[in-house]
Amino acid sequence: MDFGLTETQELIRTSAREFLGERSTPSVVRAVADGDSDAITSLWKEVVDLGWPSLTISEEHGGAGLSFGDLAVLLEELGASLAPIPIVESTISSWVLERFGPKSLKSDLLPQIATGDILMTPAIVERNASWDPNSAKVVATRSGSRLVITGEKRFVSFSEQATHALTLVRTDDVEPALVVIPIWQSVSVEHTTLKHASGIPVSSLTFYEAEVPEGNIVAIGEGAIKATKELIAAGGVARSAQLAGLGKAVLDVTVKYTANREQFGRPVGSFQAVQHHLANMAIAAKQVNHLAHSAASSFSRDGYSIKAAAQAKIAASDKIATLCWTAHQCHGAVGFTWEHDLHLYTRRALAWKTDYGDSAFHKSKLADAMGL
Amino acid sequence: MSWPKEYGGTDSSPMMNTIFAEEMAYRRAPGHDRFGTRMLGPTLMRFGTKEQRSKYLGSIAKGEIQWCQGYSEPNSGSDLASLQTRAVDSGDDFIVTGEKIWTSLAHRADMMFMLVRTDPDAAPHKGISLILVDMKSPGVQVLPIVNMAGVHSFNQVVFDQVQVPKANLVGELNDGWRAGMTVLNFERSGIDYAAWALAALEELVDYVNSEDSLVSPTKSDSNVRIKLAELYTEVEASRLMCYDVSWRQSRGEIPSSEASMSKVAASEAYLKVLDYGLEILGMYGVLEPGSNQAELQGRFFKMRLFYTSGPILAGTNEIQKNIIAQRGLGLPR
Repeated sequence: MDFGLTETQELIRTSAREFLGERSTPSVVRAVADGDSDAITSLWKEVVDLGWPSLTISEEHGGAGLSFGDLAVLLEELGASLAPIPIVESTISSWVLERFGPKSLKSDLLPQIATGDILMTPAIVERNASWDPNSAKVVATRSGSRLVITGEKRFVSFSEQATHALTLVRTDDVEPALVVIPIWQSVSVEHTTLKHASGIPVSSLTFYEAEVPEGNIVAIGEGAIKATKELIAAGGVARSAQLAGLGKAVLDVTVKYTANREQFGRPVGSFQAVQHHLANMAIAAKQVNHLAHSAASSFSRDGYSIKAAAQAKIAASDKIATLCWTAHQCHGAVGFTWEHDLHLYTRRALAWKTDYGDSAFHKSKLADAMGL
Repeated sequence: MSWPKEYGGTDSSPMMNTIFAEEMAYRRAPGHDRFGTRMLGPTLMRFGTKEQRSKYLGSIAKGEIQWCQGYSEPNSGSDLASLQTRAVDSGDDFIVTGEKIWTSLAHRADMMFMLVRTDPDAAPHKGISLILVDMKSPGVQVLPIVNMAGVHSFNQVVFDQVQVPKANLVGELNDGWRAGMTVLNFERSGIDYAAWALAALEELVDYVNSEDSLVSPTKSDSNVRIKLAELYTEVEASRLMCYDVSWRQSRGEIPSSEASMSKVAASEAYLKVLDYGLEILGMYGVLEPGSNQAELQGRFFKMRLFYTSGPILAGTNEIQKNIIAQRGLGLPR
């Protein structure tokens, strides 16, 4: 067991911290939340050049071939800076494509994801907001060698920027299938924009007889369920790593604030009542960090630890949201203002808490894995 | 085990030692003098004289000697630096007079390492020394204290003009606070709690799943499933924190804030598991060990009472949080 960083990870952290510190500032985060999609596009171009979307794609397919554990280091930084870019969406899509997809589809799409020509985002959830893969109802009707897709997917992140959606559907013979659907400027796809707490673009996608070739099927039947479960687990772990970074960032600003803000002639951070809030936050941030990295490191080309993945998302969802509320308490009135950046973190934490399964969802998965 | 070979150890890393300690605790294996092996030993290696190291380390490694820790006093608990037990210079010896309390295993110990005041005029932290005392010395009296679980685990120890050779001073005179706190940092890892918590949790899972359990809720009860999954997450989170502490030790760091974090997290996680065990057992939860019709031998009840001490001993969790905030996060005192 290793709690330090490898040389590669150290490098990822340093360069990400430097880049994001300059380019993913609170003003950029606010601009994106206010609907500035150009800010996303230009930031995304830069991170494609840095090779971030191709980090975990195999070298065979034009990626850097790094591990999911390495990725987690980057995700922490993305969380800490609230970077409004679709690294998680792109990476877990390419991860699942590489793990479960047919050879031709992989060699067609993966190199293009690596170069940034394709941006894929998962579209799993529907009206009932369930992350249970068995509840998918969007229909794919077979028509010769093509699938014709009709129905609505909800809560799709970065759908306006994405070129493709990795979508869970049900074929007309009631088999689940995970399919890559081109959505970029498609006349048969309608985007319904949501006003989402995350401050990043989230939409519902409605498919009106969208046609895709059979070759776009990543997995079908039991395989599709398995692939989707891994997609959700990977997404949950990725969000956990982001939440770990977010939590640490919120802890840091709260320490800084309470060490400087004076009342009764001394820093409020010298009061035990405040110090214990901060100690609780520090413990929570550490715990989520450990669980997220432990879970991320369990992902390999052969599978992942179901227990570790669930534990990471349970702890991240619950503990980081609580950490943010505690930070507001420590900041007093100033942290309650729109002008202060603290609520940007809190909104994001609350949004990520629900993403890729909330803690109740993952507790149920963990209970299954515990034999309960 | 983690000790260097020259002192009778196997030179294994603190990480290996933690895994060993975890396994010992998980199995509730008896017979392992943690005061000697985990606390005093490493401290002697850093602060002890050559004579002290050759005299004591071998016997600690072989398990021939039982140590106890004389820190707390009736009027000095969390505010340890206020301790009043005096050691007065009398030529070749110190004459020790005072009282120690909450001394675990004093009734079975051969030796005590204790903090005493050697300079009453200096600032509280600056007039303290760490000395080693033979428990069979004339003037040492051990009075048993029974804890709320009904177990005689700790004691009050009274010192009446006890002669202690000056050769038993560890580190410099009046510099005992530094050595004494090092001991506490070695003590603070929460791995025992994490291991006990995991064992108790697994016992609960088995109990819930067992056909023979009298009050077992159905295993499909979603409240139970969710609560046990939540506890498992808590236990794993605290276990990883403990590993982080020994990983840091393996790299030669002396953990302070991380060790405090692991102690707080693990001791609280263990109590949460025990509390939930009592909840599941319901009416049976309050049957004491040895009672007729007790479920799981009344163990959860007894452990819950016994480990009320977890967040209190070795520096209360509130004191640990002060350490985390001040030493870890750099907040002002």
